[in-house]
Amino acid sequence: MKKGSRKWLVAGSVLLCLIIMYLCTLTGVASISFWDANRILLHEVFHLDISMEGITEGSITIIQNVRLPRVVLGFLTGASLAICGAGFQGIFKNPMADPFVLGVSSGAALGASIGIIFQFGSGFLGMNSTTLLAFVGAFLTIGLVYNISKIGKKVPMATLLLSGIAVSQTLAAAMSILMIMNRQDMDQIMFWTMGSLNGKGWSQIVMILPYVILGTVLLFTSCRELDIMLTGEEAAIQLGVNVEFVKKKVLFASTLITAAVISVTGIIGFVGLVVPHVVRMIAGPKHRGLMPLSLIFGGTFLIICDTLARSMAVWEIPVGIITALCGGPFFVYLLRKMKRGGNFS
Amino acid sequence: MNREMLKFSHVAAGYGEREVLKDITMSVKEGEFVGLIGSNGTGKSTLIKCISGLLPLKNGTIMICGKENSALKNRERAQMVAVVPQSYHVGYDFTVEDIVMMGRNPYLSLRKKEGTEDYAIVEEAMKATNTEEFRDRLYNELSGGERQRVILARAIAQKPRIILLDEPTSALDIHHQIEVMELITRLNQEEYVTVLAVLHDINMASRFCQRIVMLQDGAVFADGTPQEVINHSNMERMYQMKLMIRKNPLFHKPEIVPIRVMEEEKAATRRHIHIICGADGAVKLIEELDERGYEVTVGVVNQGSGDWDICQELGVTCVEAEPFTPITWEKQAENLKLMEDAEVILVADVPFGQSNLMNLQGLENLSGKIYFHKNALSSDHTGGALVKRLEEIGRVKKITYFGDHDEVLREL
Repeated sequence: MKKGSRKWLVAGSVLLCLIIMYLCTLTGVASISFWDANRILLHEVFHLDISMEGITEGSITIIQNVRLPRVVLGFLTGASLAICGAGFQGIFKNPMADPFVLGVSSGAALGASIGIIFQFGSGFLGMNSTTLLAFVGAFLTIGLVYNISKIGKKVPMATLLLSGIAVSQTLAAAMSILMIMNRQDMDQIMFWTMGSLNGKGWSQIVMILPYVILGTVLLFTSCRELDIMLTGEEAAIQLGVNVEFVKKKVLFASTLITAAVISVTGIIGFVGLVVPHVVRMIAGPKHRGLMPLSLIFGGTFLIICDTLARSMAVWEIPVGIITALCGGPFFVYLLRKMKRGGNFS
Repeated sequence: MNREMLKFSHVAAGYGEREVLKDITMSVKEGEFVGLIGSNGTGKSTLIKCISGLLPLKNGTIMICGKENSALKNRERAQMVAVVPQSYHVGYDFTVEDIVMMGRNPYLSLRKKEGTEDYAIVEEAMKATNTEEFRDRLYNELSGGERQRVILARAIAQKPRIILLDEPTSALDIHHQIEVMELITRLNQEEYVTVLAVLHDINMASRFCQRIVMLQDGAVFADGTPQEVINHSNMERMYQMKLMIRKNPLFHKPEIVPIRVMEEEKAATRRHIHIICGADGAVKLIEELDERGYEVTVGVVNQGSGDWDICQELGVTCVEAEPFTPITWEKQAENLKLMEDAEVILVADVPFGQSNLMNLQGLENLSGKIYFHKNALSSDHTGGALVKRLEEIGRVKKITYFGDHDEVLREL
């Protein structure tokens, strides 16, 4: 894709994303009229001097502290998972990789289960114990997987994937044992693993934002190297890429982002797998387009899914179910299409 | 000019326990075009991997432009050395221009993005390799020859001082093989880029390289000009087979012709067979009889004919005459002497004319059995003299006529 058309594509997607954010903020179970919602947005967010006559305190709170943070957190979560997916698919040179491929999710889930079961009273840095343990679990898992597969100074990608699967299965089993032994907490753990943005607000956003920003910067500064690594590791070395460093950098950045996000939201699948795929079909494999577009598309996709999750039924449906419900069939469709094209990109 | 671009001292390297390179010591000077040859598994590609930083050494050092290779960062090395691999597959939809631009990577960083200069260099590289016409096409959709040109363009965009080629033409047809080799030669001559190329095809190496290094068992076995390295003993040693070496008349470079790998069953006793020939018709027959262990003599052959060439190659005793001169009685006397104790005298597929009819003089007085190729009768330019001669011989002893060489070989 040409440089110019990429800029237009990014600008267009940003605009589309903002429109969807706006529409999703207006949508919800609570009956706040279209006009009222707009007035609240203009007054509270943009601080315009608009009369707030006839608008209840409750409506203002719902828009400002329930819907808005959910839309923002939805965007952050979707965007994060999508760029981590793109990064992982880049270093593994495998279009089937997603942010959870190395067992981050099982580690986080095990941590969260421990937190839910044992109910440690105190938190740390504004995190409650479940969130904190999920974050720690995710990081410990990746550290373990990484060290298992390390040979000398190098980390062969195939070994990394396999040890990721092995560790992941083991941790999942450990979590099952915990669940069976603590049946009273089963529901809560189950819900956590399905992923949801329910009940999250600005404080969670502020908590994960630094990790997401740091990780995103690290990923965005690896674009050229990732492109070259897609053409083969040996070729990348011969073209002057410090392959081992880039791998570590992407692994670290992705783990940081994913661990932070899922410790708050629980496990939300398919976003990291499907979104980079779709973007690659539209914009080609170059990461300089892939990364920003995955960020915008992933964010937008999750906002839509979350809006569906909270407004489709009387009970809130975990958003992880919605993403899987949309993402699964779509992925099958992609696979069929690829089988015919014989190409993964 | 005489700067050492690559210097290997006692290089040893391998995979796991297996040591492929044992002790390589050599150097490549600036502007040289060096071909690396050797049979499969002698470590040619391993050497390329060692230079390009893919494989650490177990022993010894490699110096690139005077700098110790193991101390170089990938980026620094890539500014000096570019690699063109055998064939290069990319699983993603990059355009040709994207791929060529990757060659600029060693000069780019977070602070320095690709600028006008880089685009100009990429443009130039694509022009030099004739790839600019498909710059926007996907690399995956190109043919093998086009892809190899794109990879060459990428190497050129790296602005290297040294280009390493690992069997750059082995997946290509001859048109594209020559095209790629000519491009590399041009780069070598015009840009003064030093070239080290692993080549499977000895004739290609002989034709394009100024210097050839032959590896054997992980060490340098021979090193010199094509004429010095491509000789019978080196090549037989390298390939463990029978082959022939001749001078290519067009390029004046040695050329090898592979002959056979399987050894024929040796004749129990060294039976003596004399072959009368003189054109190109008996080449294979001479070779096969020699291979089977017969004592072969040949005569009278004109210098420069194919039959004469093979005698020179194989060291077969022959009576020779100058090109395009009629065979004299003196020569035939020499020939008859050679035939004296021959068990079999074979007249091969050779056109007879007045100038070589002399070859058949005196055969009737010999003790050996006479075999005569029927084709010689149909290419008779003697105006009946040949038939007359055969009748004269036939009166004294039996002539066995045969249709092709295999028939005779079976009978022997």
